[in-house]
Amino acid sequence: MITISRTLLQLAALGSVGAVLPAAASPYADSAAGVGTSLGNTMTASATAARPRDAEWMKLKHTPTGQLFPLPFAMPKADEIRKMASGWEYSGQLEFGVIGGDADERSAQYRTYSDPDNGALLNNFTLTLKRPAGGHYLELQGGAAGRNDQYYGLEFGRYNDWKVKLFHSETPHVFTNRYKSLWNGVGTGNLTLVPGLTAGGTASTAADHAAVAAAAAANSGAELSLTRERTGIRLDLSLTRAWKAYVGYALEKRVGARPIGVVWGNAGGTAPMDIPEPVDYETEDIMAGLLHADGLNVFNLRLSASIFRNNISTVTFEEPYRIAPPAGVTTTPATGAYTQGRMDLAPSNQAYNARAEYTRRFPEFYKSSLTAVVSAGTWRQDDSLIPYTTIPNVALANVTLLPGGGWDTTGSLSRRTADQTIDTRLADLTFAINPTSALNLKAKARFHETKNASDPFLAVNPNAVYLDADATTAGPQTRGLTLDGVTGVWGRILNDGSGQNILLGTNATPTGNIPVRSNIYSSKQSRFGPTADYRLDPKTNLNFAYERENIERTRRERAKTWEDRTKIGFVSRALQDATVRASYEFATRRGSAYTASTYDPAAFSSAIFPLPTTAGANVNSWAVRTNNAFRAFDLSDRDQHTMNVRLDTMIRPDLDAGVSFQIKNARHPDAAYGRTQNDQRSLNLDLNYQPSAQRNVYGFYSYQQGRYRQTTIPNANAAVTIGLATPLGTVTPQNAIAIGAAPGGPIFPLVNTWDADSADRNHVAGFGLRQDFGKASLHVDYSYSIGRTRIDYAYTVGGAVNAANAVLAGARMPDLATDIGYLDASLRIPLTKVFSARLIYRHQKETIRDWHYTNVDAAPVVRGANANALPTALPLDGGPQDFTVGWYGVMFQIKL
Amino acid sequence: MKFPSSLPPLRLALAASGFAAAVLVTSIVANPKPPVPALNNGAEYVGEAICIACHQPQNTQFTHTLHANVFRLNPKNEQEKISCEACHGPGSNHLKDPVSPSNRSSLVGFTREWGTPVALQTAMCQSCHAGAGQTFWDGSVHATNNLSCSDCHNPMAKLSSGGLLKKPSINETCYTCHQQQRAEFAKRSHMPLLEGKMTCVDCHNPHGSTTKGMLKADSINETCYSCHAEKRGPYLWEHAPVRDNCLSCHNPHGSNHDKLLNVARPFLCQQCHGNAQGHQSTLFNAGGAIGGGGAPSTRIFGRSCQNCHSQVHGSNHPGGARLQR
Repeated sequence: MITISRTLLQLAALGSVGAVLPAAASPYADSAAGVGTSLGNTMTASATAARPRDAEWMKLKHTPTGQLFPLPFAMPKADEIRKMASGWEYSGQLEFGVIGGDADERSAQYRTYSDPDNGALLNNFTLTLKRPAGGHYLELQGGAAGRNDQYYGLEFGRYNDWKVKLFHSETPHVFTNRYKSLWNGVGTGNLTLVPGLTAGGTASTAADHAAVAAAAAANSGAELSLTRERTGIRLDLSLTRAWKAYVGYALEKRVGARPIGVVWGNAGGTAPMDIPEPVDYETEDIMAGLLHADGLNVFNLRLSASIFRNNISTVTFEEPYRIAPPAGVTTTPATGAYTQGRMDLAPSNQAYNARAEYTRRFPEFYKSSLTAVVSAGTWRQDDSLIPYTTIPNVALANVTLLPGGGWDTTGSLSRRTADQTIDTRLADLTFAINPTSALNLKAKARFHETKNASDPFLAVNPNAVYLDADATTAGPQTRGLTLDGVTGVWGRILNDGSGQNILLGTNATPTGNIPVRSNIYSSKQSRFGPTADYRLDPKTNLNFAYERENIERTRRERAKTWEDRTKIGFVSRALQDATVRASYEFATRRGSAYTASTYDPAAFSSAIFPLPTTAGANVNSWAVRTNNAFRAFDLSDRDQHTMNVRLDTMIRPDLDAGVSFQIKNARHPDAAYGRTQNDQRSLNLDLNYQPSAQRNVYGFYSYQQGRYRQTTIPNANAAVTIGLATPLGTVTPQNAIAIGAAPGGPIFPLVNTWDADSADRNHVAGFGLRQDFGKASLHVDYSYSIGRTRIDYAYTVGGAVNAANAVLAGARMPDLATDIGYLDASLRIPLTKVFSARLIYRHQKETIRDWHYTNVDAAPVVRGANANALPTALPLDGGPQDFTVGWYGVMFQIKL
Repeated sequence: MKFPSSLPPLRLALAASGFAAAVLVTSIVANPKPPVPALNNGAEYVGEAICIACHQPQNTQFTHTLHANVFRLNPKNEQEKISCEACHGPGSNHLKDPVSPSNRSSLVGFTREWGTPVALQTAMCQSCHAGAGQTFWDGSVHATNNLSCSDCHNPMAKLSSGGLLKKPSINETCYTCHQQQRAEFAKRSHMPLLEGKMTCVDCHNPHGSTTKGMLKADSINETCYSCHAEKRGPYLWEHAPVRDNCLSCHNPHGSNHDKLLNVARPFLCQQCHGNAQGHQSTLFNAGGAIGGGGAPSTRIFGRSCQNCHSQVHGSNHPGGARLQR
């Protein structure tokens, strides 16, 4: 241990050269659980590829599939391994240098996930120590010291006995560099308008427009970003030959801001604007496990916890326009008093899980085995709820607030904390048996449940009384609202009082579609079926699988769906120089009766106030749920074909090729409206050529095509009145809902039908080269990616689109287009036995044409012709920005 | 820590204890011993010094691997002590005729050229690598496709920082077969795999899993929550398809659209919300917002529907029924 301590001191000294933190590889996670399996950044692949290869390695070999094994890196021979007097052997390297050129480019597309600024750079370092006597070791790695994509790892322990891993890794995420902030306090939960803007606006909307435009121009080009920092430690122990244990902890912090839309304005539905949402997250992940394997038995136990904290749970923002109180809201507060709003951000939450896995082999009984898995978890959040608004004195017509019931107080809430819980359970059982040496049979069964154990949230102000004068009863009255035993006002004010959504909102026309309580969604999934794998000959297998999946859901349009999947597969190495893998799956999903209404009727005011029956009463808000021929694509019937074929072939001993393609077709036969079709195609070609230890050339090309088709009928928003004559019959209280929801009825006239066809096409091509010139070596990677999405639509002029607008709308959207080019070239020149130089050139470009942001950056105040009307929106995020950069680097490598 | 009533700590502890006890009893009663395959036609072990005498370059590489360090510096059993032959089997027959192709059965090899049946290769690896992350190898998609361990791993050389992969990184290794996913990661929006900040194994267990897609967690959403814990909720106002399956809207491998979305907004949202009151199912370019110079609709530019319904993953605001706050 004394020796280890000395080594650590030496490491600390080395680390002080360029690394702030110590740290190793795949630190926290393993292939079974957890995240955090990578330490590196955008520079790592290039630096790795530049490492010299081992020219003495045995002649080219192929994997069992037939792909060339890459040549290993040159490693020190036994007599070249450096040793200390203490018996520790060590090796390592350090690469540092400087980057110049366009690396300071600020485009969000360029900077997301990497931080390649100009200037000095400690690009990477590694150090490995081991002491053969005792089998102790220590491995250190890191890179990009001081930058936002830096990473460090430290692993030490005793081989085959115990090990400790620590790591720290940072990932920048730039959401936009074209943001125009109207607020001070970006990154905090309190956004106040910059000077020149007035909270609640002025008497002149036209002047507010000008002020907003000026402020946006003055504050343009801002970056909204965050950095994800993850730090962790993990201990692995071999307890006995058969038993192992591990425990790990990781802390992740995300700090920064990102754009988010927030709606504001009259009636709560106009003038949305992009505000900077603050992000200050902390997630603690704790994991511990016990592993057992003895040849016949395998047992794994894992306990995990994930504690997420949002340190900024709300964001309050001032708004720069003056709005009048919406209909149904009295003049208190006065016009101009709506100065701010507040959003509730992601709630802090906790998740716990326990999972046990057991496998028992029965080698004497047809080489069979039984595997069982049980897992149970719970997700919880109990954040304190905030009041409906920060605006004081919001009052609704004919609603009497009792003492303590103000909408800006928690007295207006039906409960004070969220109190939400979802429990998960999993049971999985597999029995495998080999009746003959060529046949393997399995039976599988799985059950998974996501059960929301929460009580619905009631949208009711328990400290208010509604003086009702409904359409059928003359004179004021107090409606005794007793749903779920609560009395009060049903519904809620919208968006900080800029709108309201109350059961009898205007005190004149009752409505049936006001959300009065939340829906509680749960699901149960069961899956079972047999598989068979038959060996036709020593190199050829045929496999078959059938699976039935049942899913039961609460509060969805369909209570139960079931899907049958049948799959056959073929794998053969019998071809002399090739391996073929092919599979085909046919899946059919069907389900129970489909109720087009998305939500449980009990969640709406229609559960409290029945559908009016008097002649002439407009029952639109009761009748209109959904076009009853519309199907949500995750629940609708589906027929799906999937075919995968892959061929790996050794064209020559030094040249291998791979060809693969996938065809996937999905149709939704019961969906007259909604998503009706989804197709995917993919073709991939690969070549890898290693003619010598000094040269490696590769190339690839992929083509992908995706297609989604959908059809819908816009709601005509027509009245459905009792006694109305329609093509589907005269509306009565009994058939009102059926007629209202029927395609071809007054609400969904067929002439309004439109459909859309969204087609993605992508090409990705690349090639690379490694060439050694004596001691120097050149490495080049190049790729180019083209993405296009074309969206066509069709409609009847005069239906979904009127004649005047049809001239403007045409038949399609402009193409969404992305072009991404990447070139990385690196020339490594050894200067001495331990000192090398590496010259790097990188070229990157990206162009994006996205109609979502056409003209948005130039015109952040979107408004109609009336200069005195509120804006349509304030899209303050200008969207993606093209970039083209070329930068070079001079790096120096020192081999320890 | 407060557990929900359906998972009382005592019941959970009893169940776990009972499960563990059953495992232990089974283990003891069965007196298990690892199966020893009859290898290499009854050959005998010769020791690694004999192997190295001919295979010097291989030894140079092998010396730097975890395998070598375990076998040579701290072996825990007889199998590990024999080093090379721990994986290749006893080598005496190989010594008799090391070059003849007809004598390939004298050793277990892990290359195409050597020709050892994949099942035997796998059995050799699993004689040590059983359980833990490899528990569900049998029946996995990779096993069904008859992959050998050495289709992904090179146990003889240290190319990767961990895992003895055949390529320097996890992603490069996976891309050798999964070119479709490599192409998807090259699209406009993608997770940070190309940038070296994430690997396929953050979500998938290539050695097998009880979850479709070889996912590491019990479900798709639980996989996503392992990085996106803020989306876990549960929220006061939930969005049903979001709770059901993140992939209803997102393609985690990459997309032509913002935020890994499957389809451009608002068309994506309208694949479910083509109905009900008001504006949901309108063809929003009808005013020629983009193509013809008309007044843009709030629902077409920027984040489209999420300009207003920004809390699309769920809202914890009491007035958030429409996912606006």
